[in-house]
Amino acid sequence: MTQSVNTESLSLEELSDAYERANRFHRVTEHLAGALTPQQVLDVILTEGLRAAEARAGAIGLVTDDGKAIELLAQSGYRGDVFEKYGRFSVDADLPMSHVARTGEPLFLESRAERNKLFPTLEGQGENGHAIAVLPLALEGRLLGVIALSFGENMSFSEERRRMKVTLARQAAQALERARLYAAEQTARQRLAFMAEASELLSSSLDYEQTLKQVAQLAVPRLADWCAIDMVMPNGEIQRLAVAHEDPEKVRWAYELQERYPPDPDDPHGVAQVIRSGQPEFFPDLPEELLEELIGDDDELRRIVDELGLRASICVPLSARGRTLGALTLIAAEKHPVFDQADFELAVELARRAGIAVDNSRLFQEAEKGANAARALAYVADGVVLLDRAGFVRHWNPAVALIMGVDEEEALGLRVEAVVPAWDSLSSHVPLVRPGEAIGRPVTVPMVAQGRELWVSASGVDFGEGTVYALRDVTDERALEKTRSDFVATASHELRTPLAAIYGAVRTLRREDLELSAEDNATFLEIMEAESLRLAQIVDQILVAGQIDADAVDFDLETCDPVELAEGVLESAALHLPDGISLHIDKKGTRPIICDANKLRQVLVNLVDNAIKYSPEGGDVEIRLDAHNGECLIQIADEGLGIPSSERERIFEKFYRLDPHQTRGVGGTGLGLYICRELVERMNGRLEVESEPGKGSRFTVRLPAGV
Amino acid sequence: MLCRINLAASGMEVLEAEDGTNGIELARKERPDLILLDVMMPGIDGWEVARRLARDEETSDIPIVFLTARVGLEDRQLGEQVGGVGYVVKPFDPVEIGRVIESVLTRLERGEREQLRREMTHGPEERT
Repeated sequence: MTQSVNTESLSLEELSDAYERANRFHRVTEHLAGALTPQQVLDVILTEGLRAAEARAGAIGLVTDDGKAIELLAQSGYRGDVFEKYGRFSVDADLPMSHVARTGEPLFLESRAERNKLFPTLEGQGENGHAIAVLPLALEGRLLGVIALSFGENMSFSEERRRMKVTLARQAAQALERARLYAAEQTARQRLAFMAEASELLSSSLDYEQTLKQVAQLAVPRLADWCAIDMVMPNGEIQRLAVAHEDPEKVRWAYELQERYPPDPDDPHGVAQVIRSGQPEFFPDLPEELLEELIGDDDELRRIVDELGLRASICVPLSARGRTLGALTLIAAEKHPVFDQADFELAVELARRAGIAVDNSRLFQEAEKGANAARALAYVADGVVLLDRAGFVRHWNPAVALIMGVDEEEALGLRVEAVVPAWDSLSSHVPLVRPGEAIGRPVTVPMVAQGRELWVSASGVDFGEGTVYALRDVTDERALEKTRSDFVATASHELRTPLAAIYGAVRTLRREDLELSAEDNATFLEIMEAESLRLAQIVDQILVAGQIDADAVDFDLETCDPVELAEGVLESAALHLPDGISLHIDKKGTRPIICDANKLRQVLVNLVDNAIKYSPEGGDVEIRLDAHNGECLIQIADEGLGIPSSERERIFEKFYRLDPHQTRGVGGTGLGLYICRELVERMNGRLEVESEPGKGSRFTVRLPAGV
Repeated sequence: MLCRINLAASGMEVLEAEDGTNGIELARKERPDLILLDVMMPGIDGWEVARRLARDEETSDIPIVFLTARVGLEDRQLGEQVGGVGYVVKPFDPVEIGRVIESVLTRLERGEREQLRREMTHGPEERT
């Protein structure tokens, strides 16, 4: 209590009144001290304050942030329509509150007449009240607002009364400011708490869709009535990721709305505009015209917008590294107060953090995808090469390292021509397709890599930022393919030769203009018989080779006498022996062997036939039988052409022929020795060859000896 | 054997040799009008026989028709290089062989030896 009261000049009654007033005033001060929020402060002023000031009605208006208007915040005792009339009015208006706001000085009007004199426009208006006191709510020279007090009768404002009212106003201003600061601090604290919670959410998971949904949920109702998050899809479409509202029913409704009114990427306002421009859009108060523009003639939409009760909106871009990834929209509608600058800044900050989180998550996903792809490529049997636009190697998987004979570490980052000099000629044969186009048949191209001759099957895709080649080493397949086609040529030739002989003999026998001697007739029949047999043998060999490949040959292993077998084979061979060849058998040591007698006979017949066939100049062909170390040896030796050392193992390959062009006149399918070795090995034996070109060859069959 | 009987049926006198060495011997001794030479023979092959015949003044003029299973361009070029005037592709119809050889002989008599040689590599594909 600071004011001094001059008690000596006052009557007792006056003294008692003054005491009462001082008490009431004291109560106001106490209540103001306890009022925490601006609303509580206003309540105290308009109840205890009015009582202390002995006023019948009161109103409090605050100067707006721009200082140009006064906004009526609360009133008591006036007629209900005072807000509609004076809810917000200019500081320049011809009104008592505006006057005080302009001058900063208290205004005491003791009668209606006095008011009308000062404010002629108010004549005939207003309450029945007479005196008014209008006081500035000021703090350290800063005007917060104005408080108006109306009294039911004309008043003579004594100095003491005036001082008391001014003091009341000053205390009200202090309390108001304190409450505002407190509220601001509360809000700031809430915002900080919100931001901390949101940040934690954003960093909690790399599933950004999930975290953004949670962030939207977190924003209502604390930050806004509605929160929506939209994302730009890879195809440029805008997709709503999340909509949050306290009421799940409303959220459902919002999604339906979204479906009915999908966002147009060219919309001049809202999400589309923000995403397009990367600039935020802030409507502290949604202007009526904007809503009208959005609604147009759509009555349905009008109903929806009315129901929504949109009042303010903030739309901010989610961006990272200069790219706009989406937008965050906050809307104040039925409950949340309109937005201020702090709300906007909070939204910007939230969107910034969300943008970074989305970006991080996408980068991680891409990196992970890349790592997965690299892992997959490491195990792919096909060579994969990725070249950038400039032709530098960016990926070089282990398979391509093997094909080209260049390790990944050596290849990466180099121009591909520096890694594989023959690359140009290779790639010039490979047609590049664009992503999505049907990949054509791979091209098979010969090339040389690290001095090695290769056949490479290659295809390529040009994806704009570079080229991917898939390569496969088909050298072996190609060799096999060639052997196969050679076989077809050889086999068909082998089949045609006896057929031609038989056909020729028949044609000649049927010639009517020709008289054949009995001797000639017999010769032709012999030719036909021998060639038919040969034909059958060739077909047999092809069939046996096929069975061996399919593992479909049955073996009947038993104890056999090799001498008997060898003699039988030589006897048959002797029946059609060419001139100059002599056959022998040498029985050094003999033991029974375990084998399939028919299969072994087949092997020996083949080896003896070969020995004879490859001895065009004649010579001895000998079968030697020997046994040691539990093995039985059957050797077939000739004095013929012999086999060059480079060919000695190859002769056992399927379809391989020592003399593929048959210039030496030795026919065969290229299957005989392959069949022999396969059969011997399947009888637990081995077939080997020694040879000296020009001097002859010796084939050795080793088989387990029997008891 | 087949050739001999069928050529004889066309009124030609036919001498046979069992391999290249005997063939060269026979050619030097008998100086035939034409040699029908099998490329695939045991011992020295037909190409080599032709080369040796071409080197020998006694036999270098005797026209050679090759009997071969291979008709690739390389083989035909080789045939021309070693002095061939034609070739018969195996397998062939022995009844027709007389007619083919007759036509070659007729054209040789008309002095078309060079033309026949060119046809080895450029001429009509079918010669049987």
